[in-house]
Amino acid sequence: MDIVVCVKTNPDPQMVRIKDREPVIEAVPFKLGDLDKNALETAIQVRDAAGGKVVALTVAETNRKIKETIKDALAMGADEAVIVDDPAAATLDQAGVATVIAAAVKKLPACDLLLFGEGSSDNYTGQVPSRVAEKLGVPQVGYARKVEAAGDAVRCERSMDEMIETLELPLPAAVTVVSEINEPRIPSLMHIMKAGSKPTQVWSLADIGLDAGALAPKQEVLSNLAEEQDRKHIVFEGTVAEQAEAFVNALVKEGVVGR
Amino acid sequence: MEKVECIVVGGGLAGLSAAYGLAGAGAEVMVLERGDYAGAKNVTGGRLYVSPIRGFYPELWEEAPFERPVARELITMMGDGAHTTFELASDHLVAGPPQSYTVVRARLDQWLAEKVGEKGGMVVPGMKVDELLRKDGRIVGIRAGEDEIGADVVVVAEGVLRLLAEPAGLAARPDEKDHALGYKEVIELPAGVIEDRWNLNPGEGAAQLFLGTVTDGMMGGGFLYTNKESISLGVVVGMHAMKADGREIESHQLLERFKELPQIKPLVAGGTVAEYSAHAIPEGGIAKVPRLYGDGYVLAGDAAGLSLNALVTVRGMDFAIASGYHAAQAMLRAKAAGDFSAAGLASYEAALRDSFVLKDLETARAYPQFMEVPRLFRQYPTAVSRLFEDVFTVGPGPTPPLVKKAWRGVKRDFLRPSTLQDAWLARKL
Ligand SMILES: Cc1cc2nc3c(=O)[nH]c(=O)nc-3n(C[C@H](O)[C@H](O)[C@H](O)COP(=O)(O)OP(=O)(O)OC[C@H]3O[C@@H](n4cnc5c(N)ncnc54)[C@H](O)[C@@H]3O)c2cc1C
Repeated sequence: MDIVVCVKTNPDPQMVRIKDREPVIEAVPFKLGDLDKNALETAIQVRDAAGGKVVALTVAETNRKIKETIKDALAMGADEAVIVDDPAAATLDQAGVATVIAAAVKKLPACDLLLFGEGSSDNYTGQVPSRVAEKLGVPQVGYARKVEAAGDAVRCERSMDEMIETLELPLPAAVTVVSEINEPRIPSLMHIMKAGSKPTQVWSLADIGLDAGALAPKQEVLSNLAEEQDRKHIVFEGTVAEQAEAFVNALVKEGVVGR
Repeated sequence: MEKVECIVVGGGLAGLSAAYGLAGAGAEVMVLERGDYAGAKNVTGGRLYVSPIRGFYPELWEEAPFERPVARELITMMGDGAHTTFELASDHLVAGPPQSYTVVRARLDQWLAEKVGEKGGMVVPGMKVDELLRKDGRIVGIRAGEDEIGADVVVVAEGVLRLLAEPAGLAARPDEKDHALGYKEVIELPAGVIEDRWNLNPGEGAAQLFLGTVTDGMMGGGFLYTNKESISLGVVVGMHAMKADGREIESHQLLERFKELPQIKPLVAGGTVAEYSAHAIPEGGIAKVPRLYGDGYVLAGDAAGLSLNALVTVRGMDFAIASGYHAAQAMLRAKAAGDFSAAGLASYEAALRDSFVLKDLETARAYPQFMEVPRLFRQYPTAVSRLFEDVFTVGPGPTPPLVKKAWRGVKRDFLRPSTLQDAWLARKL
């Protein structure tokens, strides 16, 4: 089964600090998205069971940092990497990214299964997978906690509120995975060394038949700050028991506890 | 066994400097760093003397992400209830190329790792080396997890603890008597506030050292370096001084207390602690530097004990960079000669002996012993402040003449057998 895993590289979110309500990303190292690693691990396991090839695909402004980071995917076990170079990648909206991915997938010789994390580590919109599936006209399942090859199909499991749903999709198909699906492997030194000699292709937008102008974002992000809330400054008086009672009632009223 | 020409263990300044020189000359080099990225685990006070190393890799220092050139040097002696600060503000410190800069390692080391990558070297972060492989008495490679990788030469730049070098028999186990422990916080403050508090021109920096009550009289001191938009504040204490003292206060509490001192509190007021770290420092001096090379390996930086605490100057990073540079040069010579034995690598130690690294350590041979003098960290800082207090005091009655006042203070606190003994010891500094 030929699998394409779409990955995004971000500044390591654990290293990003917030200063004056702005993220400080200077000197923060880049990393593959955490959920993207779950998707990669899934792809590697499916390939190892069913045969085939894993291609890691990313859309980014190509520089050394991106090439280094994409090597992590090769070290984990992807067979090849493709970087679609878009100098304006950082300003693309979800529709733009999906357009680029869909065009790149079409250019690949084969793609039976497209895997994604359920969201990216930075913006986490979770939109790109569905958009790509729609553009390619393939069925899609989101939030899988198990993915296996099943002949000409892929079988996925996902947790619904009170049941586990098992779905089978004819190939080609797109699937997003949740973090519980697996524990992504940490590549060994030998695998890291070998990753350097695995093929990494860099495609331009023109290579996949796209024009940068057509990708201009259709939405403008005005602000992405979390809402700031004033404290309520409620002081409970009375005996300890009365205070506790009033406190719990207030929490219930706020919807913090109980139903 | 897979093999590369050179493996560097440790992506600190020593390891990266060696790798940069090797990669730049086209040698195959792989740096293994256990931290999530180069610089993640590295602790320094904060000031790099660039003058000694400017000649090595001159292209690097022009664009290095330094914080501030140090334009003001301050030394504060803290006694009970009084402290005295000497301040040097000199054009010479920053005229022409500045002699030293404050640095933040997370930034500097990552940048240098990037430069190594640009030269074609491979830097693998998140990779802990578990063992140096020995065969027939020579170092032949490393083991990391399940993987064994061979190398013509291993640069052991693992830092102060020698967790690899010692079991492999390359150097003695670090003795607590020859080490100090440093605790440090990075406290964020706006650039303008920093410049106001230390009287600095925009962009310029200050370095301040503290002696005395800061360590509660134990061997050691405090330091403060101004970065672009933060300050590095820390305390260093001799490990055995701490232990011998058997005191109530835990060493890490010294930093908390330091910050609360009335002299320090206003300096850090309004700041946000962005980082906390603790790290050991080799302070054994030249006497504790092991043999720096052997069959298939060289030792560089802190792993080789190349660091110097000379009271008013603290150095280690410039030694680390210089030793990395000379290690690379020696290895390139060994490669040209096809001889990676001890004989082939001997030019490394010879070059260090010829350079400021071992020369300055030799000059400072007497320091470790001098630092044992307990009066240095308790009586003297108090005595100095007391002396100046006398000099500046105008009491209710008649005031004695200045010289008489000063002389009385000198007689009281300094004309003692113990002081003469200390002065005798100090003649070698
Ligand atoms: C509190 C304090 C204040 C100081 N102040 C100054 C100062 O102001 N000026 C100055 O010049 N010097 C100062 N020094 C000394 C200076 O920081 C050191 O001498 C210098 O950092 C040594 O560099 P290094 O590359 O040898 O070691 P390190 O910077 O310690 O690097 C060693 C690297 O090896 C890695 N490593 C270790 N073991 C392994 C392993 N098994 N596998 C893979 N990687 C491994 C570590 O993660 C680390 O990155 C100070 C030190 C301290 C602690």
